[in-house]
Amino acid sequence: MAFVSQSQRAPNESYTFASRPRPVENRSKYREPPSEQTHSNYGNIMYDRRVVRGNTYAQLIIPTTAQPDPVEAQRQQESRRRAIARKRAREQFISSTPEALQGRKHIDVQTELYLEELSDVIVATDVECQTDAFLDKPATPLFIPAKSGKDVETQIEEGELFDFDREVQPVLEVLVGKTIEQSLEEVMEEEELACLRAQQRAFEELRNNELAEVLRLQEQERRHSEEKGRRIAQQKEVLKKEKETAEKIAARAYTQQYLSDLLPAVFTSLRSHGYFYDPVEKDIENNFFPWLMAEVNNSLEKRYTARELLDTIIHDVTQKRLKMFKELETQ
Amino acid sequence: MAGYLIDPSRAPVAFGRRAVPQLFEELQQPEADRRLRALASLCDLMHDPERIYQTVNGGFLEQLKVLFEDEDSSVRTKTCELLHLMTAHSIGRQALLSSSLLPSLSQLVDDSSSSCRRNVHRVLNRLTLLPAGADALLALVPKLMLKLRGEEDEEEEEEEVQVLLLSTLSSCSRLDALPALASDGVSLLGHKLSHRSPNIRREAAAVMMALSVCEDGKLKVCEESLLPVLVDLLHDEDIEVQANAAGVIMYTVIITTGKQQCLDLDVIPILLELVSKKEEEEEEKERKSRKALVMYSLRALTALAEAPDGRRLLLEQLPLLLRRSEAAEEDHDIRRDAQTAVRVINWRP
Repeated sequence: MAFVSQSQRAPNESYTFASRPRPVENRSKYREPPSEQTHSNYGNIMYDRRVVRGNTYAQLIIPTTAQPDPVEAQRQQESRRRAIARKRAREQFISSTPEALQGRKHIDVQTELYLEELSDVIVATDVECQTDAFLDKPATPLFIPAKSGKDVETQIEEGELFDFDREVQPVLEVLVGKTIEQSLEEVMEEEELACLRAQQRAFEELRNNELAEVLRLQEQERRHSEEKGRRIAQQKEVLKKEKETAEKIAARAYTQQYLSDLLPAVFTSLRSHGYFYDPVEKDIENNFFPWLMAEVNNSLEKRYTARELLDTIIHDVTQKRLKMFKELETQ
Repeated sequence: MAGYLIDPSRAPVAFGRRAVPQLFEELQQPEADRRLRALASLCDLMHDPERIYQTVNGGFLEQLKVLFEDEDSSVRTKTCELLHLMTAHSIGRQALLSSSLLPSLSQLVDDSSSSCRRNVHRVLNRLTLLPAGADALLALVPKLMLKLRGEEDEEEEEEEVQVLLLSTLSSCSRLDALPALASDGVSLLGHKLSHRSPNIRREAAAVMMALSVCEDGKLKVCEESLLPVLVDLLHDEDIEVQANAAGVIMYTVIITTGKQQCLDLDVIPILLELVSKKEEEEEEKERKSRKALVMYSLRALTALAEAPDGRRLLLEQLPLLLRRSEAAEEDHDIRRDAQTAVRVINWRP
């Protein structure tokens, strides 16, 4: 174990010791220190006896004197002796009897004449002592650690966390925006309709205008054509009348001419047909002559009858003669 | 999240694509209160064309049919308002036409609640913006005429309904004037022309203009001797009323009877005054209406110039019209009309 330490006495007789920090080697108490150096230069700090465990604020700081205090040493020896005694006492109670069998138990029994009560209860007397009633402890002063560092404070003013005007802006924008959008749509629609209507009206007016012109011209045409028709009809009438008159005149002239030598011809033909007659002559013709002819016929008939009679007689005679001649021939 | 609503009159709206389907599911709940809130939210959403497209494509319109027969009148009113918003766009109008909602909608015209009726009329009015819609509503015209007749003695609050009815009728009649004429529209409208409210006068004159396009209408106007009323309307304060009245006159003077009556009423100076009015500092809209008025008056004058009496009168006033037809006039159409008028006046047989 090489000490790498420096200890020197300062001129004012205070001892200083300084060494490089070095892990502690584990060494068992009962073992001979190993000849060689241990390999591990360090050990587990949890099991290092030199490390102070537990609260440190109530422990006495070990004085830095090297010489052990004689009182201290004596006290330590005493405590050592007590520990050994205690240990011996404990060892006494560790019996060397074998363990009990299963189901059985070892019990200490007194085998002396007079039984004594063995009890762990030690006769004791109670002694009380009481401290005085608690005095009112004055209030512990507030532990205010010493002030260190800068003082800083902060305070939230009235309008800082929430500014209404700024917060309400988006909401207002949406509301106003939507309203304006809707109204713009409606206005645009109305404008569009108004434009359409105006255009329609202009078109209608022009159409009416042209329609009126068309109708007027139509009417004019109709009137003109009617007028023309009427005039043509009138002309036709006139022509027809003229023609008729001409025909009439021609007819009249012709008939006049025709009729002019009709009269003598008529008279001639009438006379030739016997319409102009002399009544005596007519009478003679009508009455006298038929009678005369009838008489003549009568007389002629008589003559014929006579002649026929004669013929018949002659015929009879000849027949008879013939018959007679024939009879003569046969005889 | 459960019970707190920012706006208690609207149901909460889901995000993005889920909004419309979820609200329509909400509509099938038995409590009328929740349905009303869902309808209110839907009305808000339908201002966006994309949502309308989503509704139409998802086929949610058929669910509205059930709501038409709901007992609660505010639910019916809101449904009609929803349809009104949807018909603001063409896809909505087409979807409404192709679905089977029209018959039940036409039944709602006779509903008991006046606000519901008003909304139904709004829907019908918007529907006529589409020509196919006007076509589909032609079958409804007699019923609407009956409504108009029945509302003659109503108070002020029905004025809006009357205005809507009249404008629907004018759109339908522009397509085909026969149904309205058949239900004796001209005499009915003649009453309306002297109503105290300028809106009604304007719309009635517009319907009359649509009706007088066809031959029967013109004859009827002359028969009912509405021309004096119309000439009075030419002096009206509202420029649209003046324009529409000038339009009716313009159509009516095309037929000979009309010309005669108008010349009797000595309408030429009035029209000339309207044509030659100096344009002061006017806004865009007023200038447009004034343009219509001037155009119609010029056309009426052109038609009147075909009658010999009219031509004689107008020959004296020729310089005025010449001024209008000069290149100084910035409006093409007016210039063209004035040139036509001058040409007709100078025509010799």
